Amino acid sequence: MKGLFKSKPRTPAELVRQARELLVYLDVNGTSREGKREEKMAELNKTIRELKSILYGNSESEPVSEACVQLTQEFFRENTLRLLIVCLPKLNLEARKDATQVVANLQRQQVHSRLIASDYLEANKDLMDILVAGYDNMDIALHYGAMLRECIRHQSIARYVLESEHIKKFFDYIQLPNFDIASDASATFKELLTRHKSTVAEFLSKNYDWFFAEFNSKLLSSPNYITRRQAIKLLGDILLDRSNSGVMTRYVSSKDNLMILMNLLRESSKNIQIEAFHVFKLFAANQNKPPEIVSILVTNRSKLLRFFSSFKLDKEDEQFEADKAQVVKEIAAL
Amino acid sequence: MADEEPRNTSMYPLDAKSYNIMQEIGSGVSGVVYKAACIPMNSAVVAIKAIDLEKSRANLDDVRREAKVMALFSHPNILRAHCSFTVDSHLWVVMPFMAAGSLHSIISSSFPDGLPEPSIAVVLKEILSALSYLHDQGHIHRDIKAGNILVDSDGSVKLADFGVSASIYESYHWSCSSSSFCNDMAGTPYWMAPEVIHSHMGYGVKADIWSFGITALELAHGRPPLSHLPLSKSLMMRITNRFRIEDSHDKNDKEKKKKKFSKAFKEMVAACLSQDPSKRPPAGKLLRHPFFKNCKSPEYLVKNVLQVVPPVEERFKEISINSDSASPIVKVRRVSGWNFNEDVLEMDPVFPTENDDKCTITCVQHHGEQIEDKACCPDSIVMEVNKINAKEEQELPKDVCTSPPNSTVVPKQLLIPNLISLLNSLDVQRVMRVSRNGENGHAD
Repeated sequence: MKGLFKSKPRTPAELVRQARELLVYLDVNGTSREGKREEKMAELNKTIRELKSILYGNSESEPVSEACVQLTQEFFRENTLRLLIVCLPKLNLEARKDATQVVANLQRQQVHSRLIASDYLEANKDLMDILVAGYDNMDIALHYGAMLRECIRHQSIARYVLESEHIKKFFDYIQLPNFDIASDASATFKELLTRHKSTVAEFLSKNYDWFFAEFNSKLLSSPNYITRRQAIKLLGDILLDRSNSGVMTRYVSSKDNLMILMNLLRESSKNIQIEAFHVFKLFAANQNKPPEIVSILVTNRSKLLRFFSSFKLDKEDEQFEADKAQVVKEIAAL
Repeated sequence: MADEEPRNTSMYPLDAKSYNIMQEIGSGVSGVVYKAACIPMNSAVVAIKAIDLEKSRANLDDVRREAKVMALFSHPNILRAHCSFTVDSHLWVVMPFMAAGSLHSIISSSFPDGLPEPSIAVVLKEILSALSYLHDQGHIHRDIKAGNILVDSDGSVKLADFGVSASIYESYHWSCSSSSFCNDMAGTPYWMAPEVIHSHMGYGVKADIWSFGITALELAHGRPPLSHLPLSKSLMMRITNRFRIEDSHDKNDKEKKKKKFSKAFKEMVAACLSQDPSKRPPAGKLLRHPFFKNCKSPEYLVKNVLQVVPPVEERFKEISINSDSASPIVKVRRVSGWNFNEDVLEMDPVFPTENDDKCTITCVQHHGEQIEDKACCPDSIVMEVNKINAKEEQELPKDVCTSPPNSTVVPKQLLIPNLISLLNSLDVQRVMRVSRNGENGHAD
């Protein structure tokens, strides 16, 4: 409706510039006159929504790539992203969601077949510090979390987060009592540890000791069911990934790790048992089992064999059965 | 229109001890809904949906998505969770208590032949307002039906259950190929749009408009089209093309005088049920349809509907007693399309010509009172979508594998990537040896 009375539609670049000016105003005049601020805020909300509809299209039209390019270029020409992130807590819920979607989309926009968002973030890595810290603030956690997950699609940015101290905070974030925030953090954590294979492999081999110590003690031994369940699943994803074979070899050679896994096999939760099996089988399948591993398996042989004889999936599954047979054979032969 | 305030999550405590469970008011396949009092908040009444995460059907990503969606929507006609937290292997979602329960339950307890038209208009208008908001946000609800429409004692109407909803912006977790289409299956068969059933075509927000139209019929007749049929395959096979619902069903038609509906209503529903999704009007436009012109306010429902309905707790008790616990599973023949017969406000189903066993939809019928558990809805639909997906994308990206509608169909093992087969195990061993030799093992 309002469009009818506008003399000229603004170009994508103009919209970005306007958003930037409004953000600057908001950033500086946090406590200025109510009325004026309200007005600027309303204008900002509208502008962000317009940016969103350029990037995603709307009910009438599909996005136009030329407009997206212009918008993206202007957005990263100056510090619009930083302003938007910093000012996000000042926006209302709808504008926060729109802003999050805009930021998410920009990460994938190519300008002259380059992801210029990546270049920008590369030069502004400290923005990740702000986004990660968002998990401490219930009101903005889901917005910052969603932005963060999009930013770590860029490998260099994921590497930055992995190698920063931030990664340690995730061990606590994923156990926050608030389920929606905890599970968002958990999705980000998983993404960090599975998306970019070579970066993950490098990170894990460099940080093996503290990382798996934390992983075992805080996550796999957590009193929280959902934490254990997600952690054991993630551990399986990590260790079963070919690019992490070095890490896997090391993991399955440790007696302490084996004991944790055997405890997980004994859980009352079937889901956890099954995920634990997919890690446990690696210990058994290892053809170079260290003596201490062999000795634990031998000591518990009869218990393990009895356990596996009744360990079944609800649905028939050939691969699972084959794996199980292999594990049983290995243990019986020790 | 939307209340813009971020929810104050800190108000509702995040531990089970703070809630006093009063009674069960609903149940689904993987969860139960309770009426409860929040002790530290002057025993404010809330509804708590307890989802059993250990039930294999409850996919965690699915649950996570719903929690997030329910946390981020803010609209008077959308049920928003106060908070959610885990209690052992259950997820507790604390929600406003909607005292009158779902429209499905209201209808089955007191309006078996449907609601009077003015009341239908009130409900539909409120739901359209919610849909308009959702669609503006790029969300598709994908399971619009009376069972997911909740009513409070003041007549306010809210859309609930975002278990299978999808965001066209969140391609990250969904197999959405473009900004406006999804390719996975979700929803409940009777209400599903043709393009959802043929989901390889992809579908967008207009699928909700279809389901909205079916819901209008459900409110008008007391059931969605075809749902009263004993859905045994043999019978279904005998059904011919232009089968009409009233013909076979209402033999005792005599006392049921033909229901009269206004022209505006029929036209509105017909528009929603266009075969061509692009011909279905968007929610915002439907709100301006003449049918809603002199629509009453939600308070109208209090006098005209809620007064004759027993409290939700009693209804649930009755259902629990009456329901046959044996097997709620029915087989539903897949319907390849619908032709809406505007004159009688009925749907004429079109069945696929060939008889293919694979076309059977397994549908779990819930007597669930307040909710139909979201986790079970996508799971209850077992169709060939998976094969289609698998064909289209040789190697399914992992996100797709873990996305809910496929999850039950995909064998559990597929969720655990790689190296599951014996072959792969051997492969691992080989790699182990290699990296052992080169110690400090560099992969590859």
